[in-house]
Amino acid sequence: MTTATTVVDVHGLEKTYGKANERQYKALKDINFSVAEGEFVGIMGASGSGKTTLLNMLSTLDTPTKGDVIVNGHDVTKMRGNQLADFRAQEVGFIFQDFNLLESLTAEENIGLPLALKGTASKIMDQAIHEVAETLSIADLLQKYPAELSGGQKQRVAAARAIVHHPSILMGDEPTGALDSTSARELLDLLTTINQKQAMSVLLVTHDPFSASFCQRILFIKDGQIGSELKRGSQDRAAFYQQILNELGTFNE
Amino acid sequence: MLGKLALAGIKNRRRDYLVLLAGLTMSAAIFYMFANLATNRAFIKANAVVSQASLIFGFGAVLLILITVVYIMYANSFLLSMRQHDYGLFMMLGATRKRVGELVFLETLILGTIATAIGIVLGLLMSKFLVGFLLNMLGLHLAHLSAFYVPAIIATAVLYVGLFILASLFNLIRLTRTTVLKLLHSDEQANQPKVKPFRQLIQGTLGIIFLAIGYWALAAITTLQMTAIPLALVTITLGTYLLFRATILVIIRGLRRTAWAKKHLNGFLLGQLNFRVHNYTRMLTIVSLLFAMALGAITVGSGYHRQLPMMAKTIGTYTIAVHDKTPAEQKLMDQLHVAYTATYTQKRQGKAVYYNGDEIAKQPVEQQRYKKSGQPEAHLYTQSLKDFKKSGTQDMDFMALALGKIGAYTPKILSAEQFAKQTGKTVTVTTIRVKDLQQDLKPLKQLNKLENKRFAAPASMTVGSYQGYEMMNGFFGGLEFMGYFLGIAFLAMLASCLMFKILSGAPGDQRRYRMLYKVGVRQNLMRWGIAKEIGILFLIPGIMGVIDVLFGLQMFKPLMGAPMSPYLGIGSTFLIFIGLYVIYYLITLALYWRIVLPKTTTD
Repeated sequence: MTTATTVVDVHGLEKTYGKANERQYKALKDINFSVAEGEFVGIMGASGSGKTTLLNMLSTLDTPTKGDVIVNGHDVTKMRGNQLADFRAQEVGFIFQDFNLLESLTAEENIGLPLALKGTASKIMDQAIHEVAETLSIADLLQKYPAELSGGQKQRVAAARAIVHHPSILMGDEPTGALDSTSARELLDLLTTINQKQAMSVLLVTHDPFSASFCQRILFIKDGQIGSELKRGSQDRAAFYQQILNELGTFNE
Repeated sequence: MLGKLALAGIKNRRRDYLVLLAGLTMSAAIFYMFANLATNRAFIKANAVVSQASLIFGFGAVLLILITVVYIMYANSFLLSMRQHDYGLFMMLGATRKRVGELVFLETLILGTIATAIGIVLGLLMSKFLVGFLLNMLGLHLAHLSAFYVPAIIATAVLYVGLFILASLFNLIRLTRTTVLKLLHSDEQANQPKVKPFRQLIQGTLGIIFLAIGYWALAAITTLQMTAIPLALVTITLGTYLLFRATILVIIRGLRRTAWAKKHLNGFLLGQLNFRVHNYTRMLTIVSLLFAMALGAITVGSGYHRQLPMMAKTIGTYTIAVHDKTPAEQKLMDQLHVAYTATYTQKRQGKAVYYNGDEIAKQPVEQQRYKKSGQPEAHLYTQSLKDFKKSGTQDMDFMALALGKIGAYTPKILSAEQFAKQTGKTVTVTTIRVKDLQQDLKPLKQLNKLENKRFAAPASMTVGSYQGYEMMNGFFGGLEFMGYFLGIAFLAMLASCLMFKILSGAPGDQRRYRMLYKVGVRQNLMRWGIAKEIGILFLIPGIMGVIDVLFGLQMFKPLMGAPMSPYLGIGSTFLIFIGLYVIYYLITLALYWRIVLPKTTTD
């Protein structure tokens, strides 16, 4: 279905909560999709639609009941223990709604963490940190602790940490959820820049139509199933935003 | 309804509560045991032969109360850290502050009262069995020791319940002053301590000066007398605190700049320590002092235990002398590990006792020579019969082989023929020097008893260095016991203090390790990181404590005169003590892992 190489390939993914003899709840039912290299894909859905569960499966924080998840050639569902940790550390970059910065470390140390885990030499590490800090214009914040940063600044530091080790995919779970509208817009512009300049695939989970309008393609998820799909094509962002709103209006009926 | 909710909250964390309850119970039990010893007048009077003993008891009691206060403070903060999220939730659900306040107050008080009650019962049992066991192991007998002593029960109950009421009030005030939101998000905010080089330098210098004064005071206890201990306590506490404040942060800062800090979780570890150590300085100081006191007490106690036989050895050239041995005594003598033995025939007449020269030539009498300094020489020596006749007969140990009601008989040595003709009461006496007094304590004790029975005082004074050992044991036994007892009590409490302080930081760390998990840190790496972090927090006061002890033992030099020394053979005591400390570390670590490490699959 895609011409370029795929970064994420999901086949027949199912997730059921609850034990076999208890009342079970199917959070995800037969999900199939893929993300091409360099693509900016959004996953939209209301609360409880299963979008965070899906992201947790993709990022190996949770294990699926059935189906395959292949990220950059690795079959995630077959990994165990340390493999999973290493996979998260090397292949995936994360941006969370609540930043997830370690407040006992400076911004620089936070950003350097994925590289430190790999055992990168400190010179190369410093270089990489400063490069990414330039890109995200946070070079002057490096020596500060998270407590001294604003929400928008924190999220930019978190974004820097997510991409410093050049993961094959950047995943965001409502990254603008805790930001004011200006900071949110700045972050989304930043993600677009990262996506375009570094050709990094981005997977964004959100319920906010504005955030979603920055994507190239949007998957709508409802009650654990992918309901429909929207492509931005050549329209500008404002028009795509309208299209999303319209789609949501019918989708949620 | 709220009460039910609170109970459910406790049930969910019952294992944490069990740890807390167990710690508090142990503390109350230890306090009861000590109060039982310290307030029992009859017991102290009977055993405080050494004037310092009652003083040490009083001092120990004050220290124990201080430690208990600190201990309950930390235990309480652990309790609060576990509960504040729940309380915040209750308030958010609309419970009034007053109602939640009541809950907090009651919960703390009930927990405290239960711990105190169980603690006293446990203390009673421990006094009965453990103290008996300890005394038995040390071969001591302390008079007038009873497990059940009402004033001690009252003292323990009043102190503990009083402290818990204070703790409850403290919790009440703290909870009602904090906003609901802060309770819900009680995760500690990182306040980054600033490094001010000049101030740090002054602090460091002052710290070292204070420590030097303290150590000097301990060494100069003979001149300073009573003021030495309080002076040392204050200066060493201040010195340790200042030194910690001045150095630890600087070291961590320094390390953070190195390339090492950029490998794996090292940077995270240093970051954690950086904002931990600042809050922990006070606690680390107290713990290092407790460590020193516990280790010091045990070292001194075991020092007495190990060195009394050595001391006794210099009292006489033979361990025991048996007169006209009976078959029963022979049986006991066969059990001894003999280094040297001799049997002489005596004929006592008038004021003189006659020996057969042949016997003495064949089995020369071992004698002790003294150096100019008054110290005994390491090895005994013997003389030829000719020399012995001249000077050896004046030897006190030799003279003591024949004691009468009016004192020692004058020894005279005859040739074999003359001796055969000599009239008088014939007595055979066997002297035995054992290889190791400690090894043969049991048969020696029985032999001594039999000998004393047959030859009533003052003749019983004749039986050699074992007799001296028994006397000294009675004399120093109280000190020795105190040393062990206080040492174990201090160790138990200090380690629990550290444990609770560290554990009360665990809920905050939970979030941090969850983040690391998400970012892709291996489980093993996190385990190691935690082990290192907590290890360092245990190590710092440990090192300081060992240094304190090494200097502090000076204090006991006057009490443990040559050939005893407070420093002799401390290695094994240190090892055992450190072993116990390590066990505490491992328990803390296991608990921490359980609280902090994220489960491998998500909720």
